[in-house]
Amino acid sequence: MPAERLYDDNVLLEELRKGSPEAVEMLFERFHGKIYGLAMSILKNESDAEEAAQDVFLTVFQKADTFQGNSALYSWIYRICVNACLMRLRGKRRHETVSIEEFMPVFTEEGKHAGSVESWGKEVERKMLNRELGQVIRKFTEDLSEKYRVVFVLSDVEGLSNEETAQILGLSVPAVKSRLHRARLYLREQLSRYLREGKTD
Amino acid sequence: MNCKELIYLLEDYLDGTMEGQLKEELDAHIAMCEPCLHFLETYGKTRVLCRQVTLDEIPPEFRERLRSFVMMKARERRNGIEKYLREEGQERREQAMSIVRAYRDRRLAPALIELLDSHRERCPTCGAYLKSLNGGETPFPLSEGLEEHIVEFLDALPPGEDPFRA
Repeated sequence: MPAERLYDDNVLLEELRKGSPEAVEMLFERFHGKIYGLAMSILKNESDAEEAAQDVFLTVFQKADTFQGNSALYSWIYRICVNACLMRLRGKRRHETVSIEEFMPVFTEEGKHAGSVESWGKEVERKMLNRELGQVIRKFTEDLSEKYRVVFVLSDVEGLSNEETAQILGLSVPAVKSRLHRARLYLREQLSRYLREGKTD
Repeated sequence: MNCKELIYLLEDYLDGTMEGQLKEELDAHIAMCEPCLHFLETYGKTRVLCRQVTLDEIPPEFRERLRSFVMMKARERRNGIEKYLREEGQERREQAMSIVRAYRDRRLAPALIELLDSHRERCPTCGAYLKSLNGGETPFPLSEGLEEHIVEFLDALPPGEDPFRA
């Protein structure tokens, strides 16, 4: 069979069910990087991520027969990956995460901003490259609880739609939007503090 | 519209998915409210920066280890599938032979005997073989083609019926 045909998800699955070595090869090539990266972003530990990635491939092998194909292959695999990671987190002592509430905007009784809100757009563009700031953001996301981090990674890092993210996580679309919004509010505030302190240094 | 309400609408506002009148209200508020203007700017910038974040790349030695693991498991699974298919084929063949023997000894369910009798008369593949059986001959091992043919014939029977006489 020509290898290109295995780029077709249905063909790939059909061949996986039969145990084709080429199909396993293709599955590995196409997904191992994503699976590891996603696992790493949730588990934040290399050896945990490696073991979770192993679990994901085993589950894909086991469930290839029963996968209905009513979602895209990658979103099915992401779902397996997220579940594998959350299973691993369960029972583990969680890494201390920040309380996101401390970073939410504060308002007066009339609904006005309680503190001052400063602009940092220009400042930032002068001083730092977007990529460097991307790294800073990434550090901050590591302090988020996985509830927010997973949504953030699927939506912003992986660029999935809210609908896809919702489907993978088994959440409603409004729940995804709300978590994403809160994650961004948190990151905006963290960045503001980071840049404010950076200026006084 | 106040600052607090505006915060909840930021996503839709920036996505451009907001309905016209509401957007006008927000624009009017932002035009008069410096904190909200700054908030909008920095929030928008944060959204852009969020998309700069990339996943960790898998270190080469991890990649190789993961690859060996996956390939090993795939091999085990493939062996399992092959073994299953082999065993299943064997079982089907044995079943075919036991039906052939039962046919010879007239131990089959009457409906099935009738079916095989009529099949025998018009089947160029197995007709002669089945006829020879009714002479009381010991069923010799089926040739592969003949075996496959009889298995197919049996598979085409309605499921769930016990072929043997009660």
